[in-house]
Amino acid sequence: MNRSLVILLGALALGVVMFGGSYFAGQRACRMMRSGDDLSWLQDEFHLSDAEMARIQKLHEGYLPKCAEMCAKIAAKKSELETALNGSTNVNPVAQQKLTELAALRAQCQAQMLQHFTEVSRTMPPEQGRRYLAEMQRLTLGFHEQTESSMSGSAGHEHHH
Amino acid sequence: MNQENINPEDVRLGALLRASRPAPALPPRFQEGVWRRIEEAAAPVKSTGGITWLDALVALVLRPRFALAIATVLIVAGALLGVREGNQAARQDAQARYLAVVAPNSLR
Repeated sequence: MNRSLVILLGALALGVVMFGGSYFAGQRACRMMRSGDDLSWLQDEFHLSDAEMARIQKLHEGYLPKCAEMCAKIAAKKSELETALNGSTNVNPVAQQKLTELAALRAQCQAQMLQHFTEVSRTMPPEQGRRYLAEMQRLTLGFHEQTESSMSGSAGHEHHH
Repeated sequence: MNQENINPEDVRLGALLRASRPAPALPPRFQEGVWRRIEEAAAPVKSTGGITWLDALVALVLRPRFALAIATVLIVAGALLGVREGNQAARQDAQARYLAVVAPNSLR
């Protein structure tokens, strides 16, 4: 192979290595520097003061045991549903009952979660609070909307809620 | 012609001298070869365009100042882009951490 071509390809490879190395180093350093606790995102995203964060921390600590309790109830209900469905070729009345109970538990848990988001939003400056609430609703409830709209679109019929 | 300048003795002497030193026979097509070499030496150096371009580029790349400048630009640009992407990724990680705590997957 031509000597000039070899030198040029070597220089190109070296350039790629330098660019890639510095890219990954910068990315890694940034991610390591910005890794914080569970609430760090709130402070960064909504520009909250330490006093506001202290209030949110308190609300957060109060909410977590309630959330864990609801999650345990949901997990238990899901287990009951699986037992009811086990070996069955259709949705029997017991499974139907368990599905209804599971949906009720999920709704209760979601209501509790939304209540928590509302309380947290009230501890923030009004504009940030509105933004936080909208963002949390989008992130936690939007998934179902996307699924439902995609399913109604693919099935060729529409649901009106 | 000036007949007085011709010296018969000298003509004979010249013939004798030439006969005493015989010139070696020239190789075949000697004259043609000489002219070809002269033409080649006088003609400008011909080379393919690609090789010249590549050589010029390599000469540029191997200049220390140019190489240093390119290396600096690559490292700085890579680091800046990495930090920018890292910021974005860190923000998404933090958001996912918060969501995982306050809104378990079973509710989403």
